Amino acid sequence: MKNTANKPENEKGPYETARNCRHYAMCKIDFLGSGVCESGLEKHFVSYYPQGRMILYEALAEKKISITEKCVEIADSCNLCGKCDYQCYFLNEMRPTKVMEALKKHVGTFIANGGKVKPAKDDKILSEIKKIVGDNWATNDEAILITYSHDLSPISEPKTPDYVVMPYTKEEIASLVKLFNKNKIPYTLRGNGQNLLGFAINEGAIIDVNRMKTIEFDEKNWLAKVGPGVAAFDLQKQARERGFRINASEPAALLCANIMCSGIMSTFSTTYGINADNFIDAEFIDKEGSFFSLNDTSSPNLYSYKNLQHKSSPGICVSASIKLHPVTNDESGILVPFQTLDSALDFIKDCSVRHIGLALGIVGTEYISVFLSPTKKSAAEVKDIFLNKLGIPYLVVVIGDKFAIRTISEMGFPFFDQRLFNALYLGLPSLKSAEWLNLIKELSDDEPYSYLRIKSFADLLETALAPSPALYSQEIDPELRPFFEKLFSREEMTNLVWLNMNRIMSTKLGRRKPFLPVLIYLPIDNVLVNELNDKFRLIADKYQIDNDFGFITPIDNGKRCIFEYDYFFDHTNPEEINRIRQAATEVNILVDEYSKKTGTVKGHPYVLYQGFSRKENLLYS
Amino acid sequence: MIFEKKPTIALSGATGFLGSHLMASMLSEGYRLVVLGRSYKEETLKQRISKLLQWFGIEELVGQLELVEIDFLKPMLGIPEEEYKNLCTNTEQIIHCASDTSFSERKRDLVFKSNVNSLEGILEFAANAGVTFFHYISTAYVAGANVTVCKECLSSSADFLNVYEESKAMAENIIAAFCKKNFIPFTVIRPSVVYGDSHTGRSLRFNALYFPIQSVKYISEIYLNDIKNNAGKKSKQYGIFLDEEGFLFLPLRIFLPKEGALNIIPVDYFVNATMKIIANPSPGGIYHLTNNSLTKLEMVSVYNEQFMKIKGVEIIYGRSADNVLRNPAEELFDRFIEPYRSYLSDNRVFERTNTDLVTDNLQPPEFTYEIYKNCMKYAISVNWGQSIF
Repeated sequence: MKNTANKPENEKGPYETARNCRHYAMCKIDFLGSGVCESGLEKHFVSYYPQGRMILYEALAEKKISITEKCVEIADSCNLCGKCDYQCYFLNEMRPTKVMEALKKHVGTFIANGGKVKPAKDDKILSEIKKIVGDNWATNDEAILITYSHDLSPISEPKTPDYVVMPYTKEEIASLVKLFNKNKIPYTLRGNGQNLLGFAINEGAIIDVNRMKTIEFDEKNWLAKVGPGVAAFDLQKQARERGFRINASEPAALLCANIMCSGIMSTFSTTYGINADNFIDAEFIDKEGSFFSLNDTSSPNLYSYKNLQHKSSPGICVSASIKLHPVTNDESGILVPFQTLDSALDFIKDCSVRHIGLALGIVGTEYISVFLSPTKKSAAEVKDIFLNKLGIPYLVVVIGDKFAIRTISEMGFPFFDQRLFNALYLGLPSLKSAEWLNLIKELSDDEPYSYLRIKSFADLLETALAPSPALYSQEIDPELRPFFEKLFSREEMTNLVWLNMNRIMSTKLGRRKPFLPVLIYLPIDNVLVNELNDKFRLIADKYQIDNDFGFITPIDNGKRCIFEYDYFFDHTNPEEINRIRQAATEVNILVDEYSKKTGTVKGHPYVLYQGFSRKENLLYS
Repeated sequence: MIFEKKPTIALSGATGFLGSHLMASMLSEGYRLVVLGRSYKEETLKQRISKLLQWFGIEELVGQLELVEIDFLKPMLGIPEEEYKNLCTNTEQIIHCASDTSFSERKRDLVFKSNVNSLEGILEFAANAGVTFFHYISTAYVAGANVTVCKECLSSSADFLNVYEESKAMAENIIAAFCKKNFIPFTVIRPSVVYGDSHTGRSLRFNALYFPIQSVKYISEIYLNDIKNNAGKKSKQYGIFLDEEGFLFLPLRIFLPKEGALNIIPVDYFVNATMKIIANPSPGGIYHLTNNSLTKLEMVSVYNEQFMKIKGVEIIYGRSADNVLRNPAEELFDRFIEPYRSYLSDNRVFERTNTDLVTDNLQPPEFTYEIYKNCMKYAISVNWGQSIF
């Protein structure tokens, strides 16, 4: 099996492209405003979205499955509109349409050559399931099952379920739970299956909640009650239309699943909190198929926290009342550069303790350069510019109102404001050839980033870079340029507030390779953070795993922070998967050691399935 | 080549601008050199020196050059005892040229570590080796900020323009005291601002004189690009345009604190004068390698206009730019030249009695357009040092 992750995208055939699907479910949300795959919206099974078709084509190419009735339907349902190219190119520089074309051709040729389409198997259990959810919403067709059989987890093994079920109501889920219990069929709930831990794959039945997209706003109480199929991006969009904001994790993450899995966290967690800070109540179905609400006094206490790894799910979350936060009309974003992690840590701690800014996060050059760049090649060049010409290894993203931004300015920190960010972003191609950057570093000798204090620096940068959507789109695949030129003419695409509150900035991080985030909670103790940062790097280097600092966000008034360190791996390379498994094991041992030694470090595996716990219980017990 | 008669000299700083030129010249003159240095960023000392020798066009060096990787901050220079003893036995003179030339106050600790703290190691080495001379490459600006006539004597100033000057003044005093105490004859060689070779324009560093010129060039390119690709939308706002003769009119007022000029010498003069001093040194001698023919910034601006086709540069003396509304180009240029501003309009006068005597009145050349042109042509050809190797 050839490794394909590093091959230029335009040289990849449909099979290689299909294998490199990131499984991030971003093709299921309309984050570019370009629309979502119509057949996916109609049929809801992941199989009818570009992601599912990629997995299906990969399986057909590898002759893992036969051509079934649903396979034909899935292939036929694609109208080759090309929307997935826009979305996937933006994120991963990939163009799934060629896979869609190959799938249609493969199936079409099979039928034209008189191939016999495999019918669905008769199954008593399936009939029972269909009685609960309706004929269209349950299947054992292997073309659909295969699309639910694996994720990109380097740790979990693929498992093909026996059924995939798509309920519409919580009552249907309760009935399904009872049915599965009665027939001793294991069942697994699936949101958008983005996790890298194998949580959404299993034998037995997969309950896909993507049809349950109800949102009920209670503006009087600043709340939105959401069904389990509501993605963060979709709720955020509707909340913003009403003048509010939610704390959102990954845009395609389904809120209930996200809370179930690890709790909502983002750079806004500095202000909005984590875990139980993000909702006021939630409704569950327990393992017997009965309902309970978190706030009922007789309910299991999911607000508590147990320091146990590999806990099982406390039940199925069928709705959550998510907090809405007010938004003022003077918010903006800035990027504050730092030469060392220490100075960046001091800054975020100070801001957090003083309650300055709504969202705070230290990011590294990998993060920012991958986001700014339209292609992988460009990202590597931009990373070099940030490190070696601008002398910026770390940036702190701050979202705040005008008072917060003014305060940071008064604190004496030079920064890239929204105007400078726009110029950098849309002027990126010019930045790479800008010779004057050679002088910028010298300029920083006496006072780091003093060039940002030049009153007319924004004007100069705009003159030098001539930023524009057209310039930025120059590096994009020619066929897609008109779309991207139009896309980047839209204000929100370069707006730091929008990009952060929707977590769009981090969505490209896996473009070079998928990544396994090492996530921990710990105090903002510079020595401790640096020590762990170094050790995470050393472990990755030992196993020859690409790695980089991810982000650090302060929480709980600066007492603690969330620290992510990223391990990148080629999921098409078995040898690399083996190495990252060993590295992950070593990281877990390291984090356990630090947990015991410090009593304040908490590793992410201990948080899983406890996203409903109070942060006070999680962080300080 | 006959080098038996010449002393064996240990040279520090041979990978730097002045040190490398000295190394090349001394090797050509038949000196036997022991280069004391260190590896840097993945490159061993050997690799660094090889690159430099190649740049100087020096190939055959049988038995003439020895390289020793040392650490001035460690006992016995951080080398094994036996090697250290051999080094002491073989070294007859030392030229200490290694220096951190940063002006940055933020780098004070590093500058002092490099220029002052490291002296202990090399001075102890000088004493252990019993050298016949210790030559220290300093700077003409140790006299301090508020001196008009700079004498060929040790500085007692407490008022310096930057940390570099301060550290070099302190180093001179430490060296002088140590050498006197240990009966080691010493010299202090004080060059002013050094630029490239006056004949070929070749250079290894492009700061000091080059920096303002490079800044003007880069700023002009920003606006030329705007004129070419963006119909000069931004340029027009600030009265920047391309005239009919193809000159860029770039209104750029350079505010300098007082009337004065640049004191610049070419690196070939530095080398030739230093070689003469080393060949015939006076114990305790302090030598100013400076230029009696000063270069006004207006002159450099005229050269620039001719060479880079840029008009509109105006030099304003005795006024601060603080309350003046400046265009973005002026603001950026101001930031770029800030560390060098005082040297652009300097009016300190340097005594050269010792220098003229020992160098047979060898004088640096006047900074002519021809020299300017050669230097800038070379600088641009190597992208201001970015693509020199």
